[in-house]
Amino acid sequence: MIEVNSLSKRFDETQALNSLSMTVPDGAVYGLVGPNGAGKSTLIRHLVGIYRQDSGEIRVDGEPVFENPAVKTKIAYIPDEIPYWSQSTIEDLKRFYASVYPAFDQEYYQKLSAQFGLEGKQMLRRLSKGQQKLASFQMALAQRPDYVILDEPVDGLDPVNRRKIWGLLMTDVAERGTTVLVSSHNLRELEDVCDHVGIMNHGKMLLERTLSELQENIVKIQLVLPDGKQLPDDLQIQYKNTVGRLQQLILRGKQEEISAKLAESEPLFLDVLPLTLEEIFIYELGGTEHEIGSFVL
Amino acid sequence: MIQINYRDPRPIYEQVKASFRQLILSGVLRPEEKMPSVRELASSLAINPNTIQRAYRELEQEGYICSVPGKGSFVADASDTAAMRKRELVVRLRETADELRKLGVGEDELADCLIGGKGND
Repeated sequence: MIEVNSLSKRFDETQALNSLSMTVPDGAVYGLVGPNGAGKSTLIRHLVGIYRQDSGEIRVDGEPVFENPAVKTKIAYIPDEIPYWSQSTIEDLKRFYASVYPAFDQEYYQKLSAQFGLEGKQMLRRLSKGQQKLASFQMALAQRPDYVILDEPVDGLDPVNRRKIWGLLMTDVAERGTTVLVSSHNLRELEDVCDHVGIMNHGKMLLERTLSELQENIVKIQLVLPDGKQLPDDLQIQYKNTVGRLQQLILRGKQEEISAKLAESEPLFLDVLPLTLEEIFIYELGGTEHEIGSFVL
Repeated sequence: MIQINYRDPRPIYEQVKASFRQLILSGVLRPEEKMPSVRELASSLAINPNTIQRAYRELEQEGYICSVPGKGSFVADASDTAAMRKRELVVRLRETADELRKLGVGEDELADCLIGGKGND
């Protein structure tokens, strides 16, 4: 389990993290989302023990991470920008990883490198950005980590390799109960792989939910009512937009209950859809008008 | 075996459920045939294993599959799936009838359609 309690960090004038708390349960695949500059990468660098916090607590497996090698060997981390040494080959990098991480699995490593098609004697600096990501994935997965922490992991990867990576990670989750934390702007992809979501902004966690809680308690509706009919008044309307006779609503509540309620007013047209993670994100964070902001909270 | 449609607005577990339901009802997956394991599906579809677990759990509650501890999940036996198929078709028929009513087709005309259908068999 990863637990963060009132974590704060300031860089000069910038309050990067502002009393942030979060919990990532064991075996969860946790998607960390937020607009650019929300503090996601800063938070992640605290979780893996690169930054020391100004105040607050970070515990992984119940222990603090900073300067704690015993905990760090259980964590695999892939940063957004990969800072590998320019004079090394993939083989050198593997030797380094194997010497640092006690659980490093040589056999599994061979399988991974066969899948990714990278040759050991290739110089890291000669690899493309995507190939460097693949190389770091094969290092990270061969560590046999309990925690995998990924910052924009599939950035720069082609669709085939993206699928390969997610497939491998999901296999690891199914077989070994690995806990995964991933930050990404590709919400469509997060929706497939995550079961928990944390939305952050301005250095704070706005909300933390399981994906099913998020998606099942809010629906998007388009309907046209016959003349003279009104919407039932016990609906929890979060957002409303009318175009001609067509009303577009975002409602809090379960899909079936809402459909049943709306059926009473005998709509001429009714379309009930769950909200995608992307829509939740946009309505939650993109609303310039006050009424659109924070309806999930 | 099943496909996730990224443009489908339904949640992934619903899609997994619906795909298997269809495969079972149409007979592609035969009664007592073994379902793919959660791990296999998670790897091949690249989706969260908990999502698949949830789809399987609900399919089991609805009687489409049954799980044998330590062995995996299997398609439920034929009489169950036939009953299920019947139920599904009745639902679909009702939906079609509702739509026809909205289009102004009267009850008599609807009844004629059904009786006519029988006669044509």
